[in-house]
Amino acid sequence: MVVETQILSFSEWFWPALAIFGGVLGVLLILVAFTGLVSGIVRLGPARGMRHFFRAIGTGFVDLLLMSPRRIFALTWLSIKDAFRRRIVIVFAVFILMISFAGWFLDPGNDHPLRLYITFVMTATNFLVLLLVLFLSVFSLPTDLKNKTLHTVVTKPVRASEIVLGRILGFSAIGTIFLVAMGLVCYLFVTRGLIHTHEVDVATLEVLADAEPDAAGAAPVKGKSTQNSRHRHDLIVDAAGKGRLEVNKDHWHPLIRVGGDGKKASDYKIGSPEGMLIARVPVYGKLRFYDRERNEKEKGVNVGDEWTYRSYIEGDSLAAAVWTFDGVTPQNFPKQLPVEMTLGIFRTHKGDIETGVAGNLLVRNPKTGLTVERPVFISKEFVTDTQIVPRKITPVNVFYLRNKKTENGESKMVREEAEPQTANRPEFDLFDDLSDNGTVEIWLQCLDTAQFFGVAQADLYLKAKDAPFTPNFIKGYFGLWMQMVLVVGFGVMFSTFLSGPVAGIATLGFLVMGLSRSFVIDLATGQTWGGGPVESFIRILTQQNVVTEMEEGFRTTVAKTADGILMFFLRAMSHVLPDLRQFSASDYVAYGFNISGNWITERGLTTLSFVVVLFVMGYFFLKSREVAK
Amino acid sequence: MPNDVIIETRNLTKVYRDFWGRQKVRALKALDLEVRRGEVFGLLGPNGSGKTTTIKLLLGLLFPTSGEVLVFDKEATDTVKNERIGYLPEESYLYKFLTAEETLDFYGRLFKMSRKVRRQRTSELIELVGLTAAKRRQLREYSKGMTRRIGLAQALINDPELIVLDEPTTGLDPLGTRDMKRMILELRDQGKTVVMCSHQLDDVQDVCDRIAILYEGELKELGRVDELLKIGDVTEIHAKGLSPAAQEQIQKLIEQDGGETLSMGNPTTTLERLFLDIIQESQAHPGRRVRGGRNE
Repeated sequence: MVVETQILSFSEWFWPALAIFGGVLGVLLILVAFTGLVSGIVRLGPARGMRHFFRAIGTGFVDLLLMSPRRIFALTWLSIKDAFRRRIVIVFAVFILMISFAGWFLDPGNDHPLRLYITFVMTATNFLVLLLVLFLSVFSLPTDLKNKTLHTVVTKPVRASEIVLGRILGFSAIGTIFLVAMGLVCYLFVTRGLIHTHEVDVATLEVLADAEPDAAGAAPVKGKSTQNSRHRHDLIVDAAGKGRLEVNKDHWHPLIRVGGDGKKASDYKIGSPEGMLIARVPVYGKLRFYDRERNEKEKGVNVGDEWTYRSYIEGDSLAAAVWTFDGVTPQNFPKQLPVEMTLGIFRTHKGDIETGVAGNLLVRNPKTGLTVERPVFISKEFVTDTQIVPRKITPVNVFYLRNKKTENGESKMVREEAEPQTANRPEFDLFDDLSDNGTVEIWLQCLDTAQFFGVAQADLYLKAKDAPFTPNFIKGYFGLWMQMVLVVGFGVMFSTFLSGPVAGIATLGFLVMGLSRSFVIDLATGQTWGGGPVESFIRILTQQNVVTEMEEGFRTTVAKTADGILMFFLRAMSHVLPDLRQFSASDYVAYGFNISGNWITERGLTTLSFVVVLFVMGYFFLKSREVAK
Repeated sequence: MPNDVIIETRNLTKVYRDFWGRQKVRALKALDLEVRRGEVFGLLGPNGSGKTTTIKLLLGLLFPTSGEVLVFDKEATDTVKNERIGYLPEESYLYKFLTAEETLDFYGRLFKMSRKVRRQRTSELIELVGLTAAKRRQLREYSKGMTRRIGLAQALINDPELIVLDEPTTGLDPLGTRDMKRMILELRDQGKTVVMCSHQLDDVQDVCDRIAILYEGELKELGRVDELLKIGDVTEIHAKGLSPAAQEQIQKLIEQDGGETLSMGNPTTTLERLFLDIIQESQAHPGRRVRGGRNE
């Protein structure tokens, strides 16, 4: 499943994120101010050092607030010109070469061809563009300093802030140009690569069993398509000549008989693949749990997974996972409510591994407690399944689930039988009976004894509609764009005080740590096997098992102390490092999920925050250094 | 700072340090200097005397270790003062991938200049420095002399009041040198202030009104060029219409033969001679300031 992080609404995300940003920024500012003041006093003496420090702060505000767009644009233009002088178009040529030969290695017969293609093109684009802007951003300023070309710039009325911002914008513009060009090529590569058609393999056609011919003597037939793009489909054509190639490799084809007696392949016309290049728009709900006695719980059962993202509900018990959805109105879902889910399964016994585990859905009005039970379905682990809740529901069972407070103050859901006039109603209206001003609860229960369903909030959602693929593809590239801008920000910031190669290593370090932030946090908090970096190094050298304790002694004490210091810095770093994987939306595109506006806004604001901080840091570093030697 | 003083350094000191903060070299020692409006001021000194360090401190490219430097009454690190300054570095540190036109347009954009004014100024300056035929060629294709000329053009793009020239005639052929000196004098005639440092003593002698001679970071001499070059204890007489016989006893015969005395005064030495004398004196007596010219 693509979405395996907690989905938060913008307001839920924004205020805590702002608080964390403010906290980290405050600590950083205090540290920087303290360091600047102390170094000023040590270098210039108390009076002059303090004067120098406060003047630098004052100048800083002026330089940051009174930047000239004209000069920034001139410096941006210079960066772009400089970059193209370095023959960066070669990177594009390498990319075209990769794409040209990719068709040899990407198997269109893969079970999920879109995932394969999208993952390949977006990964290739991402790494090429990130490496390109990394090298450009870290070497530009040091090269200008080394060649002294910066002397003729800083002796003009140019502020250090304009130099830093000009470079950030210039290299971001180059990255943008490359992403747009590569994105266009990738889009054509994916769409052209996946578009194919088949013919009807007339030798396989046979009349459906038990099918009666119509008045004209035509009967529904089934068969297979020809093998194209390393796959074929089952097909079915009704008596009227309409049909489809059934779903295979994540897509299907429309089919129509265009004439003749249906005995020749040319009698049928098969359309382009459908259902593959889509972007499902999920509507997520709020998840809560009930235990086997239907007491409300924050989490379900822990079945021993180290990864606690999913919680489990026990089969054949009153345990349930409940999603509350808002906005369930006839305007949003005029015909039906498509409930799509991808469930984890934990088996305490093997059972029938082929048939999956049984479950069912309840639809409940949160105000009245009226609940209708839907038919049983069989779920296979991590296979996406869609259950349709029609507007007019014919219930399997009807009852009330009402909230009661227990003696110890806990919330418990109690089942009450429906009164006869309700229980005997043949159908219920989704919006009139089961929705409270657009709010509906969907209850998931596991029915098989001693088996468990594992769920997280994003595992069950309402599929509002299928958005077009192209805008989603563009939004996916916007995720890459944000990563690229972050790399530019770090590269330029490091290049204001480090030499080109050192700034390159520092930025590469940030890139690697940003892409593996969760591991860095585990390492910093001592949750990895084998201790910290020094201890692990000793274990590698001495070929010592990671689970055994190190022998007590001087060496171990030194190693653990050094690790303690390193891990302290790692912990500090982990608070200021962006989690670059969070900016990658390629899975959304590859798995056919729409990238929501919230996702874009939250990541966009995060990127902007980082870039602003990096820009200010870069400014102060450049301002406080001597341009000449 | 009086209005006619454009640059003032007070006790200006620069110490270069290594990564660990240890002193490597004391490049400038307590320099007190004033440059006045409308003059051509020359900084002279052998290699390592602190000339270029002084210029870099004036421009804010380096920070003083102690003391201060004011340019147009503002600190050297204040970028606002750069609106009124033009700088030609020792080598023309320009972006080689730009053409002459692009170069001047780029530097013009860094000032408050409209597109129209930039175009006009670019065209004028390219003509002034004689690069009209090569204005669309990338600077990487330029000879050293051409690079110096486009360097001068970029220094003048904002029509500055103060022009700082670091070794302006380096790399120029005799004709180019003559043109550069002519342009410096023209700038002075336009009321602009020029600060230059150079190894070419005859060039400095030709164009500078006042000079400062530095040696090992210390100011050794400061004053007007004509006064510094005057030899105080020698009288020089210029005469015409003397008979050949009278030349042997010139002092007596001028009056006896009714000759006309045109001028009487002190002869001058060359700047080269003065420079070498100061260097020799400084080497013989380190730390002593040589004041008031030679042989006073």
